[in-house]
Amino acid sequence: MSEKGLRIHDLRASVAGNPILNGIDLAVEPGKVHALMGPNGSGKSTLAFSLTGHPNYKITSGTVTLDGMNLLDMPADKRAKAGLFLSFQYPAAIPGVKVANFLHAARQAVKPGDLTPSKFRAMLMEKLDILDMDPGFLGRYLNDGFSGGEKKRLEMLQMAVIGPKYAVLDETDSGLDVDALRAVGKSVNAMRDSDEGKDTGFLIITHYPRILQYIVADVVHVMMDGRIVKEGGPDLANRIEREGYDKIREEIEAVA
Amino acid sequence: MPSTVLAPPGDAVVSQERRAEALDRFFALPSRREKPGRFWKIDLERLDLDDIALGGPDGPAPRIEAPAARGLIACPLREAAQLHSDLFQSNFGAAVRAQTQKFAALAMALVNSGAFIYVPADVAVDDPIVVTYTAGQSALFPYTLVVLGRGARATIVERIESTARRAFVCGIAEIVTAQSAHAVYASAQTLPEDSRIFFSRAAKPGRDATVQWAAAELGSALSVSAIDIAIDAPGIEAQIAGLFFPRGDQHVDMISTVEHNVGDANSETLIKSAAIGSGQARYLGNISIAAHAQGSTASLRDDALLLSKTSHIDSVPALEIAANDVKAFHGATVGALDEDQIFYMTSRGIDRTSAEKMIALGFFEPVIARFPTETLREQLRAALESKIG
Repeated sequence: MSEKGLRIHDLRASVAGNPILNGIDLAVEPGKVHALMGPNGSGKSTLAFSLTGHPNYKITSGTVTLDGMNLLDMPADKRAKAGLFLSFQYPAAIPGVKVANFLHAARQAVKPGDLTPSKFRAMLMEKLDILDMDPGFLGRYLNDGFSGGEKKRLEMLQMAVIGPKYAVLDETDSGLDVDALRAVGKSVNAMRDSDEGKDTGFLIITHYPRILQYIVADVVHVMMDGRIVKEGGPDLANRIEREGYDKIREEIEAVA
Repeated sequence: MPSTVLAPPGDAVVSQERRAEALDRFFALPSRREKPGRFWKIDLERLDLDDIALGGPDGPAPRIEAPAARGLIACPLREAAQLHSDLFQSNFGAAVRAQTQKFAALAMALVNSGAFIYVPADVAVDDPIVVTYTAGQSALFPYTLVVLGRGARATIVERIESTARRAFVCGIAEIVTAQSAHAVYASAQTLPEDSRIFFSRAAKPGRDATVQWAAAELGSALSVSAIDIAIDAPGIEAQIAGLFFPRGDQHVDMISTVEHNVGDANSETLIKSAAIGSGQARYLGNISIAAHAQGSTASLRDDALLLSKTSHIDSVPALEIAANDVKAFHGATVGALDEDQIFYMTSRGIDRTSAEKMIALGFFEPVIARFPTETLREQLRAALESKIG
């Protein structure tokens, strides 16, 4: 078995024939929080969908391994079973499918038979509480008529219920008010503090650094034009907050 | 059935004269349903009915299960015609369109089974009244007549089954209510998939009454049905819910019609359908609002899901609105399963086949919710799930 981690090497991908990812190199370590920041259109969401196996995103070269397993050979459901989770920026609404049934099906698919129904129920209640969600959520249809904030909380609930090895949060903070943002932060931190989630590696994709006030990043990666152009510690996020992306772009272009 | 067939002798239910007249009308009337096309293979104007085994006018009575309630009558139709002849005669045929609908005329001419449900004024029957028709070797012509007195409430569950293959059923369900009554009538048709069924459902609610039809057409090679509600008094709440799911070579032809003849009343029609294999279906949803029916609200929603390349569903909402102070909504969709929904589910570890199944079953859920009793809803879910494969 080769190295642990979600390891992306020279990943190139295109959408409808347009190259968007131009050779991504990035490694998400177990138990660490990685922030991926970049201006709009830099390819952050494309990376998220390429990792998850969305059929519209064509991988043209490169490799992605999850704890040594080759992810790119697997369909989306196998990637999830391998331990990958994506928190969608725009999750699909599925009328007629109840949240509770969906959560149960997802947990069963990823970790078959590991919880009795009553233990599953107890776990659900605990996670709902962390996210400040009403149990009435469970009887609603999946994302059907949900507000933006409710959808994001449900994504976090799914993450907490499934307990992935690596979680990619695609702009989970966008469009959230302070309360919802705090709930997201609390959920991620609770997961990191739990036995099941202490080794989970996070890739938090964000445009703005404000979510990093709630979740402390170990590493910050900056993405532009489909490449990782800069890496640093938490200070890098603060610099982006102060100076904006243009300054970083100028710096990179000056070097090149 | 050769065109020389004679009407059965008259009985307490229908006189020979009325049977003969209805039979003539059956032969004379057009089906008013579309002709065969590229997908649809059956010509309803030229049905081959020669092989139908006509029994006598005394067919098998349905099984009727009714809770105890003050003044409730729930008995075979023939018994009602004899023992409660005033009640029976003043309501029988009051709603059904046997004058203008071809298959209602056939059912009227040959009725050989049936149930009569009567709930007196101000009596609420809380538990459902279950009427089960079981077809056999001979053709079955059932007729369920439901009469509700002023302020009465009842829920009727009708099941249409068969012990024999190649069943033939042609029937009528009819609801006539007084003021402020509340009727729920749900039907589940699960005949063998080489059978044929023609069914006409019609309701005539009284002022401020509520009528809710829910029909599930799941069995039969050919299912042809009409669901009608006539709004002839203000304050009526009319609901129609329908689902069908042809697979293999099954054909389903459903027409629903709500006539707003009087204003200040609401109607809501909700149809969900899917087709798989070479399943074929046609749905026509009629809503008419007469010029003087001001203050009407009508909605029609119908969604069709195609689960194979060779399945086909034609879905036609037809709104005819002559009044100007009304609210009318309609929406119709026909399409395949949504890839974004499938991807979302598979990204959570659920395999594609299970995801498709969950999404397709979920698609039916809003209409399943219109059926009374959890037992019935569970049966419908199981039947739909087995069709998805």
